[in-house]
Amino acid sequence: MADDQALRELMREYQSGRFEAFDEIYASIAPAVRRYLLSQARDGAKADDLVQETFLQMHRARHTYDSSFPLMPWTMAIARHVWLMDRRTLSRRPWTPEDVTAMDLPVKADAASFADRVEVRRALGKVAPARRNAVIQHHVLGFSFKEIAERAGIAETAAKLRSSRGMQQLRALLKGTTDGAESKRKR
Amino acid sequence: MTLPAELRAHIATDYQPVRPLRSPWARTLWILPLAAVALFAASIAFNVRQDAPNLGWLGVWGLSIAQSVMGLLVVGAALRESIPGRDWSRGAIALWLAIPIVTVLGVTLTSWEASPVLLHAGWWLVGGICFAGSAATALPVVAFASILAARAYPTRPAVAGALLGLGAGLMADAGWRIFCHFSEPAHVLSAHLAAVVMSTLIGALVAVRLCGLRSSSVRRGGP
Repeated sequence: MADDQALRELMREYQSGRFEAFDEIYASIAPAVRRYLLSQARDGAKADDLVQETFLQMHRARHTYDSSFPLMPWTMAIARHVWLMDRRTLSRRPWTPEDVTAMDLPVKADAASFADRVEVRRALGKVAPARRNAVIQHHVLGFSFKEIAERAGIAETAAKLRSSRGMQQLRALLKGTTDGAESKRKR
Repeated sequence: MTLPAELRAHIATDYQPVRPLRSPWARTLWILPLAAVALFAASIAFNVRQDAPNLGWLGVWGLSIAQSVMGLLVVGAALRESIPGRDWSRGAIALWLAIPIVTVLGVTLTSWEASPVLLHAGWWLVGGICFAGSAATALPVVAFASILAARAYPTRPAVAGALLGLGAGLMADAGWRIFCHFSEPAHVLSAHLAAVVMSTLIGALVAVRLCGLRSSSVRRGGP
């Protein structure tokens, strides 16, 4: 992590118009922010989402940073706020599709066997809850990202990130299962 | 770790240089004109209290100016609270809430000592007028200070709002006591202090609502 003076300088540059400074700030402090959020959320995928949201909020609140003070307390206050807001949203959310086994998932017509459905459901069950919700709401229930963001009380970008990461995780999980099945068949 | 491409692209769409906010105490000075209006409004619109000769300049204006300055300091504390990472500890918040109340008590008892004027009749009517007048005078200060607080990024809007409401209430009451003819502590501590408490509650509600509106408009404005 860059030292405190360097971080202050980077943030000052970001405030005054050097966009690339944000890349450097991210590279310097994102691991620390993630560690803090992971200690709160105890879920790696959730912590990743919250890190994105924290940096988005840092960008929006950049005018409130005073470079005569250290950057980390300002950042951590935003991260804590993001975490608390997420927890509050979760507690207020009226419905979450946690029970994926009971859902009618649209598996491709040419691969719509019972086994495929079971595999997809099983893999989906392993995807982190926040990402799974975004995937199901967008790809299964047909909600737009704007609607998902409104329901979850998050930014639209965060909803997109959750969904795309959920899909990535799902693909990786499904690839793992198909690779496993193929190697069994070869043996 | 590198900035994810999607997040970077989103940030790039609305990125522009910004001017950092001035320090909370400097922004508190923007409240000064409204504080002056709150201080002089009641005495100009109605009258100066009848026992002013007994109290003297210090007893009437001096104490009110001191209370108003205390109100400004509390609004400054609220504006500092609304900046991430500059929030007050629980102990400090307790002090910021307690000191103004002690100030009102001190001003009330000092006025009563110097010029005891009892409220014999129309307890509820006079109390209602003082309560409503004082609370209404605080509203413009609450509104303006809430906008200033929401322009920052309050992570605890209810705390920031309560503090700025308390400050506004103190400023309004400082002006209203110059007009109120009764120094009886029971009247002052019920009607006048109740208006300060009401202003504190309104401040908390307005700040929470304003910050909620701001966050939802930011969310709607996203890609």
